Amino acid sequence: MTRAVFRAMVLSLIRDRAALAMTFVLPALFFLIFAAIFSGATGEQLRLKVAVADEVGDETTTRLVSALEDDPALLRVGGGELAPEEVRRLVRKGTADVGLIVRADAEPLDSLGGFGPAPLLIVADPVRGVAVPMLKGQVQKAYFSALPDVALGSVVALVEDQFVEFDDDQSEDIADGLADLRREAEEGATSPWGFDDLFEREDVAGQSAAMNHVAYYAGAVAVLFLLFSSVHGAISVIEEKDSGILDRTLAGPGRMSAIVNGKALFLVVQGVVQIGVIFVIGWIVHDVDLPGHVPLWAVTTVAASVAAAGIALVVALVCRTKRQAQTLANVAILILSALGGSMVPRFFMPPLLQKLGWLTPNTWALEAYTAIFWRDEPATSLLLPWAMLVVAGVVGLWIAQVAARRLEIS
Amino acid sequence: MSASDSDSGSAGPSSPASQSVLEVRGARRSFGEREALCGVDLDLVPGSIYGLLGPNGAGKTTLLRSICGRLSLDSGTVRLSGENPVGNPEVRRSLGFVPQEIALYPDLTARENLEIFGGLTGLSRSEARETAGRLLTRIQLAQRAGDPVHTLSGGMKRRLNIAAGVVHRPSVLLLDEPTVGVDPSAREGLHDLLRELRNDGLAILLTTHDLDQAAELADVIGVLIDGRIHAQGSLDELLRQVFDGGKEVVVTLGEEPTAAARSRLLEDGFEPTRLGDVWTGRLRGKLSDLSAIGGQLEEAGLAVAEVRVREPSLRGVFFHFAGRDIDR
Repeated sequence: MTRAVFRAMVLSLIRDRAALAMTFVLPALFFLIFAAIFSGATGEQLRLKVAVADEVGDETTTRLVSALEDDPALLRVGGGELAPEEVRRLVRKGTADVGLIVRADAEPLDSLGGFGPAPLLIVADPVRGVAVPMLKGQVQKAYFSALPDVALGSVVALVEDQFVEFDDDQSEDIADGLADLRREAEEGATSPWGFDDLFEREDVAGQSAAMNHVAYYAGAVAVLFLLFSSVHGAISVIEEKDSGILDRTLAGPGRMSAIVNGKALFLVVQGVVQIGVIFVIGWIVHDVDLPGHVPLWAVTTVAASVAAAGIALVVALVCRTKRQAQTLANVAILILSALGGSMVPRFFMPPLLQKLGWLTPNTWALEAYTAIFWRDEPATSLLLPWAMLVVAGVVGLWIAQVAARRLEIS
Repeated sequence: MSASDSDSGSAGPSSPASQSVLEVRGARRSFGEREALCGVDLDLVPGSIYGLLGPNGAGKTTLLRSICGRLSLDSGTVRLSGENPVGNPEVRRSLGFVPQEIALYPDLTARENLEIFGGLTGLSRSEARETAGRLLTRIQLAQRAGDPVHTLSGGMKRRLNIAAGVVHRPSVLLLDEPTVGVDPSAREGLHDLLRELRNDGLAILLTTHDLDQAAELADVIGVLIDGRIHAQGSLDELLRQVFDGGKEVVVTLGEEPTAAARSRLLEDGFEPTRLGDVWTGRLRGKLSDLSAIGGQLEEAGLAVAEVRVREPSLRGVFFHFAGRDIDR
């Protein structure tokens, strides 16, 4: 009996082109769009758009602006000779992420510790607050690596002013050294004064930031559409009630329990195929390492599909009409997906919303997928997400069975 | 069949209850204050069609749902081959049900539908496939077996709808208004199919408010009004019970009779009833009785707009028990 229900569901889906497209094509399309957006927005490939106005225009400030133009992390916008007001306008419009004004009425660049206004003014849009420290870092780097003579000269002046007075010979040696530094910098020699030697980098999660983002959104989009397609499939029980098919079946030896089980089986299989399509596309188009993680992916996908099937069947069997079920499902899925990280990663959310996310199947499924494809964690770290998903599915299925009994006899 | 709550009490069974494959005894069911079934008794024997005739709201669907075990009774019993079908799927294996709606999967082919309903009733894949092929030939849809249901004509869908109810070879088939919205030629085809199924030995309970269908198809007709079976028997038995070999005389009055006139007319077996703008009533008896009524009408000063004399019909039987036409 369960097999007959399963077969009816499969054939109905195969014959319904619109449902097929909604189930398998649309999610894949969504994933490709999200992947294209976020694989190019990983931070490493992002260039900070900067509008620069140089009110001073002397040799030192020109060298600094030139060094910033050469920085691959920055993209100068608005042209070469901007007035301060133009810089402010470009930032306000969003054309520039951040602005930099080299002030004329301030301490000079080669003088540290003065009491006047700072020589550099950063113009920021509060929405893009992260751009400020990024620009500060790049300016400091340029200051020390492209203008080492200026930077160290001002440090020497500061030391001489506050700690020790150099004699003439020492001052001459320092002046020669600073001149050498300037020459080397102008010749493009690698300068230790950018302090790059302080740092080494070790990546501990995934293959690359772009890949991690793609893997994340494969899971995020998959779970979002898994919920939608599961509800769509489960709602067939209401259609069968309205069309008399349930009456026919239950008048004979048919039982609601078998019908619910058949539908649950179909929804799990449909979910696995649907998520499979998305990850296979992620593998083919974006090199998501699916072949290297098939067993863990499979268990996660089955667990997520079980959870979605349970939830969808509860919605379908608690509601009396198709419209009621669709409305409830749409609202519930959008809320679950927003809180659960299917729309925006949870680490962008405030702590309270992050905590609420643990109540959603999206979060547990995404925890598992990111653990597999992003953090490359062992199976033991996946036990909790798997358990939570399966428990959600089993509880949902149990509630659905209880609700289904009222259709059987009244 | 046996009758209970019959106003005459004379409509006895034409087949012994011991042959019944379906027995309903004293079935009562209320929804709040409203009594949907008021002690219904009914027997169904193999190889017969029972036409349960009743207007909308008479309790037909409630009775069918009770027989299917989908609705618990407040009191009374339903026995299917001697067993209670409520909560007993194995007993219900001998029951087939054809809802009023086209209860089929519209995107699946005719064959797939029959195979799936076979599977839903516990047939193995091979049994379902073999039975589906046989039934498709029988309902003359073998040529369209591979077509999706939504491409079939209304009559074809109705035939398939019935076939899906018998795919597991039940001994009792319940049909809820099986020809609603069907054109006359398709309807004739459906009647032929039902007769064939009856001749195969199937016991068929057919609910309808179509008098012609009941008269044409049913071996036994039960008149269900307001949850009560007022009479049951063959068409001849019902006509004899109501008209006693006489004619049906329909008198239409030209004006509304006074209460006193109505009371006097009632003594002569004529109860005028308002039907829209006119008052009409039926008489059973001989043509000669007309003169007595004519005298009463004259004495009451009532104008007669029309007098029709015709052979007794099921419409008259229903009017006799319900005091109104079935479609009103």
